Amino acid sequence: VTAPGGFRWIKRGQIFDPAEMAGIDWMQAFAQAPATLIFDSFVRVYFSCRPKPDSAGRYVSRSAFVDLNRANLFERVGMASEPIMPLGDLGAFDEFGTYPTSVIRDGETIRAYYGGWTRCASVPFDVAIGYATSRDGGVTFQKAGRGPVLSADLYEPFVISGPKIRRFDDRWYLWYIAGTKWLSSGALPEPVYRIRMATSSDGLHWERLHRELIPARLEADECQASPDVIFANGTYHMFFCYRYSLGYRGRERGYRIGYASSTDLITWVRDDDKAGIDVSDQGWDSEMISYPHVFELDGKTLMFYLGNQVGRRGFGLAELEGGLA
Amino acid sequence: VKWKKQGLLFDPQHHSLPNGCTEFAQSPQALVCREFVRVYFSTRQREPGGQYLSHMAFVDVDRKMQTILRTASSPVISLGALGCFDEHGIFPMNVVRHREQIWAFTCGWSRRVSVPVETAIGLAKSVDEGETFQRVASGPIMGPSLNEPFLVGDPFVMIRDGCWHMWYIYGTAWAEPTATEASPARVYKIAYASSSDGISWQRDGKTPIAETLGPDECQALPTVVEWGGIFHMYFCYRQATDFRANRDRGYRLGYASSVDLQTWTRDDALGGMQLSEAGWDSDMVCYPHVFACEGSLYMLYNGNEFGRRGFGVAVLEPER
Repeated sequence: VTAPGGFRWIKRGQIFDPAEMAGIDWMQAFAQAPATLIFDSFVRVYFSCRPKPDSAGRYVSRSAFVDLNRANLFERVGMASEPIMPLGDLGAFDEFGTYPTSVIRDGETIRAYYGGWTRCASVPFDVAIGYATSRDGGVTFQKAGRGPVLSADLYEPFVISGPKIRRFDDRWYLWYIAGTKWLSSGALPEPVYRIRMATSSDGLHWERLHRELIPARLEADECQASPDVIFANGTYHMFFCYRYSLGYRGRERGYRIGYASSTDLITWVRDDDKAGIDVSDQGWDSEMISYPHVFELDGKTLMFYLGNQVGRRGFGLAELEGGLA
Repeated sequence: VKWKKQGLLFDPQHHSLPNGCTEFAQSPQALVCREFVRVYFSTRQREPGGQYLSHMAFVDVDRKMQTILRTASSPVISLGALGCFDEHGIFPMNVVRHREQIWAFTCGWSRRVSVPVETAIGLAKSVDEGETFQRVASGPIMGPSLNEPFLVGDPFVMIRDGCWHMWYIYGTAWAEPTATEASPARVYKIAYASSSDGISWQRDGKTPIAETLGPDECQALPTVVEWGGIFHMYFCYRQATDFRANRDRGYRLGYASSVDLQTWTRDDALGGMQLSEAGWDSDMVCYPHVFACEGSLYMLYNGNEFGRRGFGVAVLEPER
């Protein structure tokens, strides 16, 4: 069922499943937060994956990529032989993970903005956003410094994560999420986080809007992630994902994909009914769908997204009927 | 210059402090008031599991810095909320008067897993002459940045001619534990930032204080005062490891001078403040705070065991 004026995505199926990749110690499971970089003959899809957890059940996240045949995205033609960047030093913001990673071309350089993870004592983790660049076509990235480019500030106290880098009219835009509170009702505290935005002339010094862009719909503590913005036909379109703050690991309260639009990048109108994609009745994306990334390729508008267990079994592909109007 | 030590001024064992704190009165910092000098310090509450929380408290001292007049009876500022940068304590806190308010620049800390702690600088304000402080918001005003990756803390703020100056520290390294260290050892350096409003700060990316102990020297708690036409900075410094019980490697007071607040000439011997032969400040001296009151220059500071037994005061001897 499609809402009036809404989109209609045709699911094409699962594209990449890390479980099929045997013998890679840093990629035992998960391929999360897909982000594309388009080359002449292939599409490079960055994602974050995980080695086996430690004895206490704690994970680290690594960032890598898979190359897909541009003419047939179901054909894998290449793959990162190692993570694209190292973990941070002892005590640094990205010591325990780089997830997610968003990439963009800037001349010969490829820029990456990524969430760096550290472990805390009273809450399980904190996240800040780091910056790295590649001079070898996106195979390896060098960090611009040991610290983050966007971290907690006066009005955004923790969990600065989920960066999506874009460039419009010669200005850099960073959509990201910021934590608003930690809920301590369960065994481990759970963060609430919302979509925010910052802009920059150089990609290093950021001016934050300091405002939540997307009003909550499910509940006051709704969590929002993956603010993926694309410009088409005079409108900025944002696909994102959202879920309940607690009890979100099953179908009822898990991630769904939402939609908002804007003409000025500041004011966004949320209308999830237009998103045009939902969980399947059965299969790899029957419990939740999340972390959408929308891109245009050879006349088509495509979406990569995660399925059950937030991408434990990788990501899949959907194709938009018609265009982004 | 020559300092005359007036001795231990405040010992927390002999006073009743908020939050049931009985040990530590660290990093004393002064707010000069009309009738007294209010000295803020960081004290510690021991949790059931044995871990510490750091709380701010104060004592009011007569203007000759000799007699304790009053001890704070209620908490000065609450701890941060779950997951915030100052959830587990504030240590230290620097206060400046601004218009009708008192602004407190706090060093908030929270516990980590692979390293013991992370810190950042927060801002709180008082409208009741410094009895209580309220946070401007729940996050920090200065935390890690691209080239200052962790342990941003120890703010000292001076407002001059509408320009806000801040000396602070940031971490340059966490080293894996060694034979003498139970947990990772940190290295930190004094740095500088400026601001037009006290909230948004521009860091200049330099470490203005030359090292005398080599690249692993730890520099902490800068305090700056104008006296006799030039600027004087005191701070404390130590070796990165084996500094807690080894007298030869523990905190000493460093000194630097400047005419423009930007370029500093270090000369610790000129600072004129050494260990005592015996007594409460004979193993280490640390966490200095220098201020003027009634024409005299005073230094508050901690002694052995990082101030477990409180703080003392010294007065600058007049030049003859």
